[in-house]
Amino acid sequence: MSQHASARTGWLLVLPALLLLAALTLYPVAYGIWISFFNKHSFFPEQEFIGLANYVAVFGDEQFWHSLELGAIYSVTTIVLQLTLGVGGALLLHEKMPARGLIRAISIFPYVIPTVVAVIVWKWLLNSQFGLVNYALESAGAIDRPISWMGRDWIMVSLILVSVWQFFPFVLLAVLARLQTIPEELYDAAKVDGASALLRFWHVTLPHLASVLFVVLLLRSIWMFTKFDTPWLIIQGGGAEPYIRTLPIYTYQRTFAYYEAGRGSAMAVLMFLMLVAAAALYFHLWRREERL
Amino acid sequence: MNRVAALLLACAAGVAALPAHAQKVIRVWHTETQPNSQEVMRTIGKRFEAKNPGVKVEVEGLAWGDLEGKIMASLAAGAPPELSHGQPITCTALQAKGLLLPLDDVVKALGEANIWDQVKRVCRVGGKQYGLVHAAGTSLLIYRKDLATKAGLKPPKTWADLIANAKALTTSEMAGITIPGDNLFINILLGELLKANGGIFFDKQNRPQLTAKQMIETLEFIRELTRYAPKGWEGHGYLETFTNLYGQKAAMMYQGYGRGAGLIEKSAPAAMANTDHFDVWVKPHGPSGKEPAAQVDEEPWMLFKGAKNTKEAIEFLKFFYQKENYLEYVQTVPIHLFPITKSLRADKDYQATPMIQRWKSWIEVQEGYLNKDQGKPTLVIDWDDMTSKPYLMEVLGSGILRDMVMDVALEGKPAKDAAARAQKRLEELLKSKGYLK
Repeated sequence: MSQHASARTGWLLVLPALLLLAALTLYPVAYGIWISFFNKHSFFPEQEFIGLANYVAVFGDEQFWHSLELGAIYSVTTIVLQLTLGVGGALLLHEKMPARGLIRAISIFPYVIPTVVAVIVWKWLLNSQFGLVNYALESAGAIDRPISWMGRDWIMVSLILVSVWQFFPFVLLAVLARLQTIPEELYDAAKVDGASALLRFWHVTLPHLASVLFVVLLLRSIWMFTKFDTPWLIIQGGGAEPYIRTLPIYTYQRTFAYYEAGRGSAMAVLMFLMLVAAAALYFHLWRREERL
Repeated sequence: MNRVAALLLACAAGVAALPAHAQKVIRVWHTETQPNSQEVMRTIGKRFEAKNPGVKVEVEGLAWGDLEGKIMASLAAGAPPELSHGQPITCTALQAKGLLLPLDDVVKALGEANIWDQVKRVCRVGGKQYGLVHAAGTSLLIYRKDLATKAGLKPPKTWADLIANAKALTTSEMAGITIPGDNLFINILLGELLKANGGIFFDKQNRPQLTAKQMIETLEFIRELTRYAPKGWEGHGYLETFTNLYGQKAAMMYQGYGRGAGLIEKSAPAAMANTDHFDVWVKPHGPSGKEPAAQVDEEPWMLFKGAKNTKEAIEFLKFFYQKENYLEYVQTVPIHLFPITKSLRADKDYQATPMIQRWKSWIEVQEGYLNKDQGKPTLVIDWDDMTSKPYLMEVLGSGILRDMVMDVALEGKPAKDAAARAQKRLEELLKSKGYLK
């Protein structure tokens, strides 16, 4: 078979996948961009071309900026905590200990249960009247009256707590897998050179984890910045929603509560562009770091 | 050969007959999600099927939060159910877009004079009934009668009286009053308080009136009232708020409903589960108002124009309101599902419902609101709003009013500033939809 024919066969073989990708990913994205130029009702066939007016309105909307701020607080905090707990947990579970396999299996449990179940359980635990968390804190003398975990002062903390609990195992799993591939000889050599545990971590472990941490950080940043289900479920049936109205939540509200599909799409497009810009900057910095 | 032809013909007829049976499906979406209500709805569906061979009734109970989105999505997909509950303001919004069919045949079957006037005003446009309420229940000011009697408190006539009562009932262990903090209930609260203070949300040109004196007074009242609410009230949903009441953490609940009587019987100490401990006061009015106002929880049945089996759906609704079925339905939540027909209200079997006997005062206060036309659907001040303001659904969903209340009650912003900010946001919303120039 000639090289040309071989290439054609190759293209034919990947064509179904490409078509599927175009239909399920490219088309919705393109359609989202298209309707962001319209004043369009979310459900009824009413639409009017308004050019960039939706974008102008979004930039002039104080709620948008406030949601962006809340989203940034939520994603940065959860990512830092996930990385800290995930790396710490992986280092711990990399050590030899009794029932290590069982503990490893349990540690990924939060990540494998459905979000809706996790949030329902946590809302029950954090219930201000009969929740186990308040009961434990009161019994321990840490608080003298129940905390309203879904109220203004605590709802962001509750959201961060639930999110970190649910997603840190992803970091743990990725880092643990990489740790198991680092040759033991490197640690032995470092020990011979008199390196302390901290120095061994800094000079041996961390450089080997760099590539996996790069991917983990990128993925978790994208996922946390666009996280919708966890905050949305937290505010169902009670919860001070304005204090965790992150950008995905506000985008949803604009689309399905204000019934403004055009405005909602404009916000989604902006969110997409922000992520692209952040990822591009991140890649740039990473490459520069690698060259150094 | 003839035998083969006859066999083929019989098979063809059979195949043709099968879809005919399967095609008569009546899809019914409702919001009474208590297990016993769901069971009764399914039973009524089965009874109807037994009397109407070839018709299948698919009953689905939906959580409130899911309903509007699901209705809209089904309409957008061109596959709405035959019948669904909806908010009164949703009903008028859909009617304005020509998506509903009238239910006048059902009204005729019930007898127009037999239906409460208040109920007939919901989603009635041009003399046609586009939404027919399944049952009505008003919001209630529930209070701890034992504690109020002990403190020598009188029923509050004005907001100032209510605040004085809340203050008197507040102890280190118990909040004086509580309200739910989620968007729907804050909208309900604001609507009925504004009405009780003689205010309006929008003028005839659809311009929001949030900076008017009546609204400013209302916001200041909410700020004052929530000083006596449990810390973190804004994060409590309806059930958690009610838990505070029967769990003896709050002495009053402004935004309660008759459904709560069941919760009290189920969860409060047995000796306290009665009207000697939990009773209702008529709601007070504001400084610029003259009479009380309550919200009526009265979702109408809506019949969708785009549905397949609308004739059968009308017959099903007639069947639903027949005494045997309707009585069984309202008895599932007797203190909240107030019947829409005068005949059932006066019926001995209805009157004999044990729970109605036990919580009589709760029913009477609700009946008073309905008879005096003091109960209105969410965000509706005058009945005319139902048809002249088809954007109320978007106003409710936007959360703008809730944000305004939170700005005042939690953030300590001056009521005028919070109202001005909300006014600007609402104007922008209405302008973008073409309702305001």
